[in-house]
Amino acid sequence: MGFDFQHCIRCTVCVANCPVFKVDPAFPGPKQSGPDAERFRSDDEASIDRWVRLCSQCKRCDVACPYSVHPAQIILREQTRYGEGHFRPLPYRLFANTYWLGALGSLIAPVINILTPRTFVKRVLNVFGISTSIPFPQYRFHSMNRSWRWKGRRRSRKKVVFFYGCFINYNRPDIGRGVRDLLASLGVRVVIPRQVCCGLPALGNGDMETARKFARKNARILAGYIDKGYEVVYTCTSCGLSLTQDYPGILGVPDGKKISENTYNLHEYILELMEEGYIEPTFEPLHRKIAYHIPCHLRALGIGYPAARLFEKIPGLEVHILEDNCCGLAGSYGFKKKHGETSAKLGSDAARAIKAIGPDIMMSDCGACKMQLGYFSGIPALDPSEILRQSLKVTDSGT
Amino acid sequence: MNAIYDVVIIGGGMSGMMAAAALAKNGRKVAVISKGDPVCCFSTGCIDLLADGDDPLKGIASLPDNHPYHLVGEDAIAHSLDLFQGIMSEGGMPYVGDVHANRRVLTSLGRCKSTCLVPETMEFSDFDSDEYIHVISFYKMKDFYPQYITSRYTNAGYSVFDPGVITTAGIAEKFENRPFLEAFISWVQGLDIPEGRIAMPAVLGRNLVGDVYHQISAGCGRKIFEIPTLPPSMPGLRLFGGLKKALLQKGVNLYWGKGIYSVEKLGNRIEAVTLASSGRATRVEGRAFILATGSFVSGGLQASMDTVTETVFDLPAYLPGARETWFNDDFFAAGHEIEKAGIRVDSSFRPVDTEIENLYVCGSILAFSEVMKYRCGHGMAIATGVAAANACGGLV
Ligand SMILES: Cc1cc2nc3c(=O)[nH]c(=O)nc-3n(C[C@H](O)[C@H](O)[C@H](O)COP(=O)(O)OP(=O)(O)OC[C@H]3O[C@@H](n4cnc5c(N)ncnc54)[C@H](O)[C@@H]3O)c2cc1C
Ligand code: SF4
Ligand code: SF4
Repeated sequence: MGFDFQHCIRCTVCVANCPVFKVDPAFPGPKQSGPDAERFRSDDEASIDRWVRLCSQCKRCDVACPYSVHPAQIILREQTRYGEGHFRPLPYRLFANTYWLGALGSLIAPVINILTPRTFVKRVLNVFGISTSIPFPQYRFHSMNRSWRWKGRRRSRKKVVFFYGCFINYNRPDIGRGVRDLLASLGVRVVIPRQVCCGLPALGNGDMETARKFARKNARILAGYIDKGYEVVYTCTSCGLSLTQDYPGILGVPDGKKISENTYNLHEYILELMEEGYIEPTFEPLHRKIAYHIPCHLRALGIGYPAARLFEKIPGLEVHILEDNCCGLAGSYGFKKKHGETSAKLGSDAARAIKAIGPDIMMSDCGACKMQLGYFSGIPALDPSEILRQSLKVTDSGT
Repeated sequence: MNAIYDVVIIGGGMSGMMAAAALAKNGRKVAVISKGDPVCCFSTGCIDLLADGDDPLKGIASLPDNHPYHLVGEDAIAHSLDLFQGIMSEGGMPYVGDVHANRRVLTSLGRCKSTCLVPETMEFSDFDSDEYIHVISFYKMKDFYPQYITSRYTNAGYSVFDPGVITTAGIAEKFENRPFLEAFISWVQGLDIPEGRIAMPAVLGRNLVGDVYHQISAGCGRKIFEIPTLPPSMPGLRLFGGLKKALLQKGVNLYWGKGIYSVEKLGNRIEAVTLASSGRATRVEGRAFILATGSFVSGGLQASMDTVTETVFDLPAYLPGARETWFNDDFFAAGHEIEKAGIRVDSSFRPVDTEIENLYVCGSILAFSEVMKYRCGHGMAIATGVAAANACGGLV
């Protein structure tokens, strides 16, 4: 970073790829918010570009830019600068801390799940700037924090520490337990230490301090395992991006580089086990038609689409890759009332593309995509690991 | 079980994508790696084969002997364009045109540009200059002024529609929404436009262009046509999007957004490349590699004060002469010498003067292609892309 903005040739490719720019006329787009405005910014002056907050940090502009300008990185820096210098409205503070929000939600899950769909509660949420155009996620009492913390032989040659992320932890711990069981069935020792939010929501909500606090805490835990010969595995692509890009990058976490270099996407990790010859799994046929919505942050990782490569090996599976749409929820972005309309428009566009395929199920690696697009398309939304478990016949072991 | 690709293509421009399409069609397992979106995104979407003269395919015979077109040959060039047209038709974005006849496209300056294949939505070649032409433009849309066009035609008029947004991408997005489209069509019907043609800037949807185009045409009771705009250019983006979608459907694996970090060689063969992914470098292994990273504009070639380098494999690059000879005094004159710079290849598209055995090169990175001078951009990329694919298809 630093002077990347100087490389911009103003080709507008990033603008053409920006989902927010497409539907929200108030947002000047990645070129103007990023490299163009950057020329007039100075660390000695306060940040005044209020509209940088309209960027959802989907990072589609970074992926598209042929000149490695990374407009989203430039905007992210400005978002945190803006956040430092300005009052952050309630939703920004709340969602910066999805971890505590989740912890609370999960603790009082039975109550909160009944309350949030109520009209009265929705009104209250709206008053505080929180959008209720899609159902609020359901919280689970049996979060990952309350599940078995290891599985697989202790002496196994392959050892991983699983970074599950907030969505799995509080909303879909069943997916997390499934991943644990899947890895164990492949002869991998899995440990699931206590961990906190990756920090990405805090960063996106302009709260650098909280983001750093979370990141440091995780880094200490993960680096400890890496030193003992473990590798880090994630399924949530946004957590993955945060661990590999932001920890050594904008968050400047000690050991950030070490974590970044030892962290794998789950499917990438399984592919590598196969390539090394460590496992030779038999994939049972699945006769399904799947619309695979690629999360923006999987694209941003720049590792290709490993789950899709695994699915090529499952007989009978028909996978349609959809990579041109952002689901619009972008973590907590779409839960803010002021972004509600943008988010809903993008969500229904992406759902339309999914429905055009006529799939039995839709699939995405990202919790936010699954929530948003499951809702807008009315089609069951699964995690790739769930499909994989079905084909590899890994049964659910409960907690 | 190893994820070895038959062919790994570096560069996701017109040439890389067409090479991938040709290989995937023949059942090869292909990966395309691209640092970013290609030049065709900001092009008009029209396929130039050789813009001067009436018959572009015949015209190729008169190009200098070392022009890459000669390595492909007339028949193979025609076949590669057939393949391209087939893919775009399947994707619902048909192209019209004939390799033996250049056709005109109206530009936003009101002049005509000569090209070979054009998106169906831009077809205007049968226009007869006495015909009435009516331009519809959009309120406050940047870089599109109907007066430029109407001032050049004696029999012309224009109207302005207010779509509520002012950017090309914003307007295109609106056209994908049914109530907006219907409101627009009834507005046009209310204008009572005289007999003749209706022209619009190219904003008829980002993706659903075929549907939008046919519905407006039906609503207006006549064929309308689009005029390409400055970037962001919807026809360029549709071209890119259409090809990319076709590749995904054919099972090609895409690795987008990161450049090449390092190259692994074993003897005279390239074994794998690694990507500058976030975190660990992702490794992509292949039996053969195709280099399609484009020319200076895309970073396939890089110039320093006195030399030109190829950025991925450090292949020897042809340099037309000392720096003083690189540029013409007249900036706008066609044919700066530096345009000849690039990678020289043998008849099977393998780079000359290197030991590497499993590498092929195609597209605008090729030496002597002089894309700007001959205005042969996409055509040369398509023809050499498919030819390189065929050349390496035998090896893997
Ligand atoms: C502004 C403009 C408008 C044009 N308009 C037209 C037109 O209307 N009609 C026409 O026929 N021609 C047009 N041309 C010419 C034409 O676009 C090009 O000649 C042609 O598309 C080149 O295709 P290509 O595949 O060789 O390379 P490119 O399209 O340049 O693609 C190269 C790709 O390689 C990637 N890449 C580069 N380095 C690396 C790396 N190290 N690792 C991974 N990936 C890498 C780049 O990101 C890029 O995606 C235009 C050119 C320009 C500049
Ligand atoms: S940031 Fe990149 S994609 Fe955007 S205008 Fe600049 S060079 Fe083009
Ligand atoms: S990160 Fe996404 S929303 Fe933000 S400017 Fe880039 S493309 Fe637009």
